[in-house]
Amino acid sequence: MMSRSPHAPRAKYQFVSALLFLLPGFLLLFVFFLGPLVYSFRISFFDWNFAHPERSVFVGFENYLGQINNPIFHRAVINTAVYTFFTVVAKLVLGFFAAIVLNQKIPARSFFRVAYYLPVITSWVIVSLLFMYMFSGMGGLVNYLLKDVFHLINKNIIWLADPILALVPVILVDIWKGVGWVAVIFLSGLQTISKELLEAAEMDGATPWQRLTRITLPLLRGTTVFLVVVLILGGLNSYVPFQLITHGNPMDKTHSILTLMYRATFSRMDFGNGAAISYLLTLFVFALSVVQLKMLNKPIGE
Amino acid sequence: MKNSKLFVFVVLLLVASFGLGACAPAATAEPAAEAPAAEAPAAEAPAVEEPAVVAEPVTIKYWHTMSDAEAAKLEEVIASFEAANPGISVESTRYAYSDFKTALLTSIAGGDVPDTARMDIAWVSEFASQGALMQLDGAMADFDAIAASVFPGPLSTNKWDGHYYGLPQNTNTQVLVYNKDMFDAAGITAAPATMEEFAKVACDLTDASKGVYGFAEGGTYFWAPAPVFYAMGGKVTDAEITTATGYVNSAESVAAFTLLKDLYDQGCMSPNLMGGGIATDAGQGTGIYGMIIDGPWMVDIYKGNYPELNYEFALIPAGPNGTSSVVGGEDVVILGGTKNAEAAQKWVSYLMSKDAQVALAQVGVMPTISSLTGDASMPAYFAIFMEQLKTAQARVPSPKWSDMDNAINNAYQRILVGEQDPQAALDQAASEIDALLAQ
Repeated sequence: MMSRSPHAPRAKYQFVSALLFLLPGFLLLFVFFLGPLVYSFRISFFDWNFAHPERSVFVGFENYLGQINNPIFHRAVINTAVYTFFTVVAKLVLGFFAAIVLNQKIPARSFFRVAYYLPVITSWVIVSLLFMYMFSGMGGLVNYLLKDVFHLINKNIIWLADPILALVPVILVDIWKGVGWVAVIFLSGLQTISKELLEAAEMDGATPWQRLTRITLPLLRGTTVFLVVVLILGGLNSYVPFQLITHGNPMDKTHSILTLMYRATFSRMDFGNGAAISYLLTLFVFALSVVQLKMLNKPIGE
Repeated sequence: MKNSKLFVFVVLLLVASFGLGACAPAATAEPAAEAPAAEAPAAEAPAVEEPAVVAEPVTIKYWHTMSDAEAAKLEEVIASFEAANPGISVESTRYAYSDFKTALLTSIAGGDVPDTARMDIAWVSEFASQGALMQLDGAMADFDAIAASVFPGPLSTNKWDGHYYGLPQNTNTQVLVYNKDMFDAAGITAAPATMEEFAKVACDLTDASKGVYGFAEGGTYFWAPAPVFYAMGGKVTDAEITTATGYVNSAESVAAFTLLKDLYDQGCMSPNLMGGGIATDAGQGTGIYGMIIDGPWMVDIYKGNYPELNYEFALIPAGPNGTSSVVGGEDVVILGGTKNAEAAQKWVSYLMSKDAQVALAQVGVMPTISSLTGDASMPAYFAIFMEQLKTAQARVPSPKWSDMDNAINNAYQRILVGEQDPQAALDQAASEIDALLAQ
């Protein structure tokens, strides 16, 4: 079989083996990613019966319109946007300065690097509950500090009873948990900047501030753009801290888009609306991604 | 850049998925019609083979949300069932209440269902309306006999669209639970008999400087304020479940939430129900909450966690028309997708038998068989709950109940934070519930 024409069978063999290597990946992609994606898109146009899909009633865009006209959904969109804005900005700024510090020759540097990264690998569930207890309206650590230690307030604040204050622990837990990861990514970026460049600048009399703004920051642009993209996507997909700390309370004003999707699907058994919410989020993420893609494609580092 | 390539790939995938997704609507009309053909054989073929299968050993799956003590007792019940029914074994799986609905939904959607499950009475109509449960009347040989042996109230929670989709495995209600030592210290000699007395006692027991509250509720979901709501004469909808206007926003319903709002504003009710904080059992167990309203399981919880606690039960204080409370409990259902319907029915019958009900009563599970009321084998503390059950009311048996509950929950929260007065908040809840009922 091999002997007749040395080239054609080899090419064919290579093609088949390449196909075989690709197959598991494609299979996984289709079975676990694209398949469900299309299936849930279909669900979003039905009053879906999860026990007997054949009894589902086609409702057109009703699920989508229902959400677009729903004040609870509006609020969830605002919450998600506010959460994303504050967490992304805070994580970038704090993470950057943490990286600068961790990049210096400070004592116990390895210890601090580990310490910053620890929150990243702790369980979301545990730290969310921890923050919930810290912000408890009764006997919480935060109220204790504000009232009994610093005397800034004279009455306990019931954080979780207020639709705006309830977002404070949700945002803080994400910042606390995410700074370490951002710092590590910045740190790896910082280490690609050549020492000679900075030393040369120093010799030429550049102040530390000038070195930071003229050399370090521009050279970190690629890293920064990558972080912005990933952090925004992460923020829009936030679920755990909202679900565990506020549960949408009070008055359904502290949902994120995904907690609303979860509730529609699994508490209210309304799969159609749940799917519609997911696709509205997808649409938004997609639009945002196009913009971000343009940012990414700009030449970097010049 | 590697990252940008990855990003391009992700975006391309999204585009591709939209392209594929866009094809779906055109195809939807067909699959919707095709689906039954594809689904039916899978669902029905085993049912046809059923009689032949019975001789073979079968395993019945039974999902539940029991406590430690109940789950241990359940194993004894299973052992005696298996001894009496050779060839059938029962495999029980326990879930946390908060995960249970998701677990059931996933199993049903995935087509791999437990044969039987014990679920919250408020869920049966919801699952039945989706066709996820087996209709028991007319299908189960001893259904009529069992239905006749149980309390009508709990039985009614299994009814959906004129048929029964479950049987009431256990029942419960909430009563007043008070810390006797705190009452004694305040010189209060008896449990409050009326709502006026209740409000006064709640404030008398309160000591803001020590962070002590006369009364605490576990949350704002309907189950928590329901006993006070019903005792004050509140109603959610009319008996036919056609409208909430004039019911959930009636003078009585408004009075109930006004009473709770006043207690909250005066600091006589713990802020935990809104702000997270000390749970009702932990608070009462440690002398922070004087009174809570809760169910028969508190006996085991207090025995385990606060054995020193000196507490007593009392009927919910009377409103204008006497006492009332809310009916709770669980129904046992057979899932529509079971492949072992016959064996599952035997297991359900056994759970509804006196033997099983008496056994589980020993760990605080209240039976639904009416002839067991006052039976010597029942724990003494059941008496007060049995008495309360005579006037307790069931929540609205509707597949829309979760949404109704949420509407009232949000109204209660708007009242507590002062965004609306009770009348305005409940007017809004009434129109929200009416909209649900109109669907």
